[in-house]
Amino acid sequence: MAKAPVYAIVGNPNCGKSTLFNALTGLKQKVGNYPGVTVEKKTGTLYSQHGQPITIIDLPGAYSLAARSPDEAVTRDVLLGRREDTAQPDRVLCIVDATNLERNLYLVHQVLDLGRPVILILNMMDLAAQAGISIRVARLSQMLGIPVIPCEAVNGKGIIELKLAISRHDLPLSRHAWDIPAPIAPAVAELQASLVSNGGKAPLIARAEALLLLTDQDSVRVAGSAPLDAKTQEILRSWQSRWEAQGVDWAGTLVSSRYEAIGRLASEVAQSAKPSAQTLSDRIDAVVIHPLWGWVVLALVMTLLFFSIFKFAQAPMDWIGDGNAALAGWIRGLMPDGDLRNLLTDGVIGGVGTIVTFLPQILILFFFIGLLESTGYMARAAFIMDRLMGHVGLNGKSFIPLLSSYACAIPGIMATRTIEDPKDRLVTILVAPLMSCSARLPVYLLMIAALFPGPTYPIAAKVGIMVLMYALGTIGAFGFAWLFKRTLLRGKPPLMIMELPPYRLPRIKDVLLQMTERAGLFLKNAGTVILAISIVLWLLAAYPKSPAGATATEQLAHSFAGRAGHLLEPVIKPIGFDWHIGIGLISSFAAREVFVSTMGVVFSAESGGEDTTSLRHALNAARWPDGRVLFTPLVCITLMVFYVFAMQCMSTIAVVRRETNSWRWPLFQTAYMTGAAWIICFIVYQSGTALGF
Amino acid sequence: MSESPFHHLMPLCQLPARATGRICELTGDSEFCQRIREMGFGESVYVTKIAGNGTILCQLNGTRIGLSHDAARQILVERVGSR
Ligand SMILES: Nc1nc2c(ncn2[C@@H]2O[C@H](COP(=O)(O)OP(=O)(O)OP(=O)(O)O)[C@@H](O)[C@H]2O)c(=O)[nH]1
Ligand SMILES: [Mg+2]
Repeated sequence: MAKAPVYAIVGNPNCGKSTLFNALTGLKQKVGNYPGVTVEKKTGTLYSQHGQPITIIDLPGAYSLAARSPDEAVTRDVLLGRREDTAQPDRVLCIVDATNLERNLYLVHQVLDLGRPVILILNMMDLAAQAGISIRVARLSQMLGIPVIPCEAVNGKGIIELKLAISRHDLPLSRHAWDIPAPIAPAVAELQASLVSNGGKAPLIARAEALLLLTDQDSVRVAGSAPLDAKTQEILRSWQSRWEAQGVDWAGTLVSSRYEAIGRLASEVAQSAKPSAQTLSDRIDAVVIHPLWGWVVLALVMTLLFFSIFKFAQAPMDWIGDGNAALAGWIRGLMPDGDLRNLLTDGVIGGVGTIVTFLPQILILFFFIGLLESTGYMARAAFIMDRLMGHVGLNGKSFIPLLSSYACAIPGIMATRTIEDPKDRLVTILVAPLMSCSARLPVYLLMIAALFPGPTYPIAAKVGIMVLMYALGTIGAFGFAWLFKRTLLRGKPPLMIMELPPYRLPRIKDVLLQMTERAGLFLKNAGTVILAISIVLWLLAAYPKSPAGATATEQLAHSFAGRAGHLLEPVIKPIGFDWHIGIGLISSFAAREVFVSTMGVVFSAESGGEDTTSLRHALNAARWPDGRVLFTPLVCITLMVFYVFAMQCMSTIAVVRRETNSWRWPLFQTAYMTGAAWIICFIVYQSGTALGF
Repeated sequence: MSESPFHHLMPLCQLPARATGRICELTGDSEFCQRIREMGFGESVYVTKIAGNGTILCQLNGTRIGLSHDAARQILVERVGSR
């Protein structure tokens, strides 16, 4: 073969595609023990036995090529060569979960129809052996006429054999033939011919597409980006009406005839010892998805998470804080007083340094989320939430993107690609940013520190406030989903069909990988975006210079930033915020954690560069012009509530724009979230004031 | 209970926990039927209900699948005894 081949990895959700991809290419695709981890294609390179580069594409999991959701559509479109940004794969690595051969072979069966060389990989052989399933690999290979390779992707077993097979110049085409059921065969032939002559497709792709047209309910989606040509459409319609009149269930017949062919294969090659007794997963599930205990477990997990955030982060946080102070002191000793020195101490250390102190908490959060993802708990959380989500008008499946949004709304919004119904997907996208993401964590922590200054306060009070904020965001998300499903995006609650994977011990490697990846992103963000914003903000807070003799506060008020804050003050005074906070609100439209760095810059500018690190003290000392305390407990709470609801994240807006393919929805989302934030804060602050807080 | 010609159909949601049924009929719209057929819920497949009154957990060919109550209501099974 002259050109190096392109391989696509195709298989059911959660069968180990990304694990295999990582083992082959050395890349670090996200791996997790729940269906729907990968939702976009990812390309990598493997060097063959002869040192030739081979392209490997990791794809989202799919149960069928007749795609039902956007993530499955990605897989279908790449395989059928409909994506302009991706070369059509020449060969396919079909990976199946050996513990469930029959269901997994359904997709393989469809892929074999595409007439491309296929290598079949039997993954999870360790679990199959545990379950007493034995597979006659050689026989399967002989029956299908393609290489079949048993492997354990997670332990690196079988990878060498697989690499050898991938490196082969010639791969046989499958000789497996199955008979298209007689009443349908002429229709397939006619559609295929029409797709070749009118649609310009290659014959085998045309046959596969003809079969897909018949098993899919919505022919527009099957034809992908380019709509089906009119002639083929007409042929399809005439056959369908003929069958309807005769009472032929063409789609059902096609599926069952595939399963029949697969059943014959499977019964020949797979043998299962007696159905095993209760597995460990069953015993765990008896508690975890129990209608009562399930909720207790969920509550315990959450409490443990927040408790750890407060308990274990304090020490490293203090070290970073001390480091910042030492660094600022060192710079002060080194440089003469002046704007440049203040820029470094107030702008850079006051801004970026303050943000970095929250790294320990963020690491702890991602550690927990990583555990949930790699043990298999995610799918269980979706399961116990299904009932509740049904009342809202969504189903349990929507809860997985929402849960991911606790880390960051961006992967959460991407994960909505697993949702079948476009309206339900949109509703989930609209409410996902209400789940408190890791960028809110610094804001909450700062406010909680201002609320409970000093170590005398019990940790339970801090944890309690934190849980309250997370709960508020979650309730808000459900409330708005309920509202949208009843007004803008009406529809029946969708039915959930979701696979629950067996529990696995968390793979520390995967968890650490996620943690370092996220920490890296966080630090990179701090070192670029937040650094830039801090410097600009410092400039805006330092210029124009007020006449000599002005106090630091007068200078700040006189500056560009101060003026902007003053401009906003009338709008935010009813919710208890002054112009200092106003500056923070404006700048945190870039990203929420910028609020903290902004407060760092604003208050260290105001304190005249005395003490950069103890932002908490500066907040407690802040006053209204009439001498009232600015950060009263009520204002701290109101500010947290504002951050729970307001949409302040450029990256999220950009992702929503891309995923919804319009500006309408991100703008609507920004407006409704920020509007709701103001209204709810108004209610909280005014009733709090009336009650005398 | 063994298979009898006078089979007694019931929706999967009503199958008692740990009982096994044989799928006899899929009701509901064609899109739904298509998807669950593709996921292995074909006619004459055996399915064991593990737990659940609202959302249902069942076992099919060695995999656990969670189904909304309304989805489970559309799958009609014939009970074949418990495992
Ligand atoms: N026991 C065992 N576990 C495995 C094996 N291969 C992968 N896993 C685990 O299976 C789970 C799913 O792996 P992924 O690679 O994320 O699966 P995927 O097919 O990419 O999943 P999606 O992207 O969601 O479709 C992870 O928890 C892996 O650690 C294996 O051979 N044996
Ligand atoms: Mg994957």
